[in-house]
Amino acid sequence: MTDLLPFLVIGLTTGSVYGLAAMGLVLTYKTSGIFNFAHGAIAALAAYAFYEVKVVRGLPWPVALLVAVVVLPPLVAMLMERVTRALAGATTTMKIVATIGIQLIITGALLAHYGAAGLTFPAFLPADTIELFGVYVGIDQLVSACVAALGALGFFVFFTFSPLGVRMRAVVDDPDLLSLAGTSPFAVRSWAWLIGSHFAAISGVLLAPLIGLDALLLTLLVVQAYGAAAVGLFASLPMTYAGGLLIGVLAALATNVVSGSVVLSGLPPAMPFLVLFAVLLLAGKRRLVDIGATRPTPPQPPLLGPRTARIVALVVIGIGIAVPFLVGAKLPVYANALVFVLIFSSLQLLVRTSGQVSLAHAGLVAVGAATFSHLAVGAGLPWLVAVLLAGAVAVPVGALVAIPAIRLSGLFLALATFGFGLLLENVVYRTGLLFGASGSLPAPRPDGLGGDLPFYYVLLGFAVAGVLLVAAVGRSRLGRLLRAMADSPTSLATLGLGVNVTRVTVFGISAFLAGVAGALYASQGHSATGTPFTSFTSLTWLTVLVLCGAARSAAPLAAAIVFAVLPAYGGGEADGSSGWMPVLFGVGALLVALHESSARRGRSHVSAEWPTGSRAAERIGSPGRAAARERVAHRDVDSAVRVRVGAAGGAR
Amino acid sequence: MTLRVDGLTVRFGGNTAVDGATFEAPLGRVTGLIGPNGAGKTTTFNACSGLLRPSAGQIRLSGKDVTAMVPSARAQRGLGRTFQRMELFDSLTVEQNVAIGREARLARSRPLKQLWCPPAERTEVREATEEALELCEIGALRRETAGSLSTGQRRLVDLARVLAGGFTMLLLDEPSSGLDTAETKRFGEIVIRVVAERGCGVLLVEHDMALVMSVCEYLYVLDFGELIFEGTPEQVRASDVVRAAYLGSEAA
Amino acid sequence: MFELDSITAGYSGSVVLRDVSLWVPPRSVVALLGANGAGKTTLLRVASGLLKPSAGRMRLDGVDVTGKPPHVLARHGVCHVPEGRGVFPHLTVRDNLTIQATGGSAAEAVERAVSAFPILGEKLNQQAGALSGGQQQMLALAHAYVIDPSHVLLDEVSMGLAPVVVDEIFESLAKLAASGCALLLVEQYISRALELADYAYLITRGGIEFAGEPGELDGDQLTAKYLGTPLRS
Repeated sequence: MTDLLPFLVIGLTTGSVYGLAAMGLVLTYKTSGIFNFAHGAIAALAAYAFYEVKVVRGLPWPVALLVAVVVLPPLVAMLMERVTRALAGATTTMKIVATIGIQLIITGALLAHYGAAGLTFPAFLPADTIELFGVYVGIDQLVSACVAALGALGFFVFFTFSPLGVRMRAVVDDPDLLSLAGTSPFAVRSWAWLIGSHFAAISGVLLAPLIGLDALLLTLLVVQAYGAAAVGLFASLPMTYAGGLLIGVLAALATNVVSGSVVLSGLPPAMPFLVLFAVLLLAGKRRLVDIGATRPTPPQPPLLGPRTARIVALVVIGIGIAVPFLVGAKLPVYANALVFVLIFSSLQLLVRTSGQVSLAHAGLVAVGAATFSHLAVGAGLPWLVAVLLAGAVAVPVGALVAIPAIRLSGLFLALATFGFGLLLENVVYRTGLLFGASGSLPAPRPDGLGGDLPFYYVLLGFAVAGVLLVAAVGRSRLGRLLRAMADSPTSLATLGLGVNVTRVTVFGISAFLAGVAGALYASQGHSATGTPFTSFTSLTWLTVLVLCGAARSAAPLAAAIVFAVLPAYGGGEADGSSGWMPVLFGVGALLVALHESSARRGRSHVSAEWPTGSRAAERIGSPGRAAARERVAHRDVDSAVRVRVGAAGGAR
Repeated sequence: MTLRVDGLTVRFGGNTAVDGATFEAPLGRVTGLIGPNGAGKTTTFNACSGLLRPSAGQIRLSGKDVTAMVPSARAQRGLGRTFQRMELFDSLTVEQNVAIGREARLARSRPLKQLWCPPAERTEVREATEEALELCEIGALRRETAGSLSTGQRRLVDLARVLAGGFTMLLLDEPSSGLDTAETKRFGEIVIRVVAERGCGVLLVEHDMALVMSVCEYLYVLDFGELIFEGTPEQVRASDVVRAAYLGSEAA
Repeated sequence: MFELDSITAGYSGSVVLRDVSLWVPPRSVVALLGANGAGKTTLLRVASGLLKPSAGRMRLDGVDVTGKPPHVLARHGVCHVPEGRGVFPHLTVRDNLTIQATGGSAAEAVERAVSAFPILGEKLNQQAGALSGGQQQMLALAHAYVIDPSHVLLDEVSMGLAPVVVDEIFESLAKLAASGCALLLVEQYISRALELADYAYLITRGGIEFAGEPGELDGDQLTAKYLGTPLRS
């Protein structure tokens, strides 16, 4: 026991900070209905602001602290409040994409400006140690833990007893009713964003000394808050704080247990995602009510008639054939882009055709890449067999990702898949199952077609086949069922369809394509590594695809060009996941989300500023979960019916 | 294939929305379930089709207890429903909406069937779709997108969709809401024709008394989640209990 | 005086109310009648600012308040007790009253509410959602006592309540009317609403079909509107 004590103390220290960050996250989510994927990025921003003022400008640390946790958060809060207000009535996908866009903007800018290498964060608290219960504890750690704990406690008291706190809880229950009682829900939400941003900033500054200044790490570390928030079922603040402590302690204990094992070294940092994934799976729909849920927008009709589309497709293939003769030394860039056509096609199938947001897509591609290497090099299978089998192996993994899809939807599906992706990345990538301890495996090209030019045409063949496959799925019975499911899964179920099977099937098909794409990516680059397939990559892909959504069914092609070709002509980056490109994608995705949201509102008379909120469990007036669930499920439908009710009346 | 509900109770938190309702809807008959606002009619419906898990009571289809079954399993046993909110597939055409009524039932929970529609089934789907479109007289709308239709048309698409599924017991949830008098009348005529031609059973939740009185052969009246009266339309009309429930105690 | 002038309003591109005009004179009770889906709730939502009308004007004591958000209208004396239960279910009764007081004294709010509905005094620290339906409705109605509204809009406040509770609710409505604020009443218990009312409006499919004094309304015609067909044919 005693030898575990130091880990316990460390765990409680960091856990306290996670708890604080998580409370800010839950507060803003509950009051605004927008889950802020950029919460961690705000923490990172604050830490970098501190660094900029203290180290780069050479000012004293109190000034740096002032800038980071007093000046910066209100600015961020103002931005977030404006964005979320504009997102009222947006689809769940767009709400997710908008804050992911903000995260990309912040994280991408930090990475591009300060570089990916970790910087040393200036210690500003005394680093002396004191003895506490027989354990030596750094004063800085102690201060961090106490600041976070006091912040959490203070906020809890405020939330429970102060008039503003009471109103924050009221906004969660029923924003319309609050405005009827004479309080503007928007004013209350602004306060919530202010507090949430402060909590994020404080936790960023407190965490940076512990883990160093690394934009990605900081962003992801406050993602630990997701896990903590999950323990509180995204609702209870005290449980959320406790969840933070729990995750801190689990991670620290895991560090102790796995020390020495290279294979399991990823386990401690993955702990929060393990918790997140587990809670989301175990809690299920009943307990998790996505308060911001809305009905999906019906997909737009195709831009072109079937005939014109066929001609355009042929022209595009023609261009594809001609590309090698036009681009010279840039051929590998285009070869890569072809792989991305496949990747984005498989993502499109999920996101656009079936309306499910998956943030584990890079993980699936990585599984394909690694499997291919094992099969082609390890087992010596023929190239084509290895490629197709790589796709096949990705299918059960995709089905595993689909488990949350069965039980959850919308936001929680996105979160669960994000957790799954991080788990894969942190725990499995470095094991022998995937890329091994060295992190890199050889990947051959097919015999006789290994040159850049012939292999380009091999890839072109795969890309065309993949696009045709996705198109065929779209026209098949499954395609019809998926489009119907995006509109109303409820009525599909009452018509006799096993919708869970439908969900798993589409994840399976998508995973197959992603796996094949992974194999081709590895083959094109002669090696299979996990580096290009982080969770950050998954986020970037999603935003790029959404960014190109206007191209409808050609979106995968457009996305591949934007992601893999354009950067090569910009700053010479490898692809769209490095340099300033993510920032551009973030901006673009945010704008698309805002635009789509305002277009949606434009079609209705309902005022943007005063959205029809939850008319609390109307006929039954029950506070129960079941009623809350019903309320969410029917809220939008409810207003829709009233409309139609009136429409007939008006027509007379 | 009688739908039989025994002692159905649904609670939300501390409130009881439906309290021990017992009724049955046999084949070949239009059975009405009526009651004032908030009486628990739609809740009863949701429990019957499996969207809500009842707190107590049993729901049987042809004697088989289906209380624990998920909605799709009940649908496979022949129970179909429409929605007051007309949960249509707004982005699909009318024809596709109706076709899916059949396809969903054929595809069930089998991955391959969901993926691929064999030629024989294709014919079956087409025939069922045509028949349902014709019954509901909406063949002219087949190429329209469901989201662009008027309420009256949407009601008919919702009905056609469930008819194409070939269900033997139909639950119709407030089908007249949003319809004008002429549309309501037409809807009633279609329901009567469907029952006469197919011999299926219909359970109708409705607030428009004109429709109820003209199509239902037997009525159950709910108030505060409890069954307060049952009988033929004439008996319901004459009942002081029902009148009081609708207009307030002093109106009797 | 609350004037709604030629209001047209709806949701998501469809029109629910078309060219509806309605006056609520000072210190009067106006009953708004009509079948399900006629547009009564929508009209109240427009009146309290929850829904912006796409056309028409609203004037409150002569001041144009068209398009003002609900919290502003509330501060001008419009109190809307919405359909369903107008309470925050996860907040205590006391917190509910505090919010109703709109920044005023919480203690005074509690005092006023308890003098109107003594039963609430025993439940101050309970979650509103745990109250019975009738008590929740009283808590919602307490809003009209906690502030001094000039106009109270009531949407089916008796819905789903046991008859004895309905009696109590109607007594308190009479009390409210006697205290001098104007009521706009949507009720399914027509006869009771008409007993209380100075004026009545009948709304059918989004338009006003009748406006006048309750005595002028034909009872059988009214029954027909509600039940679709005369009960005694």
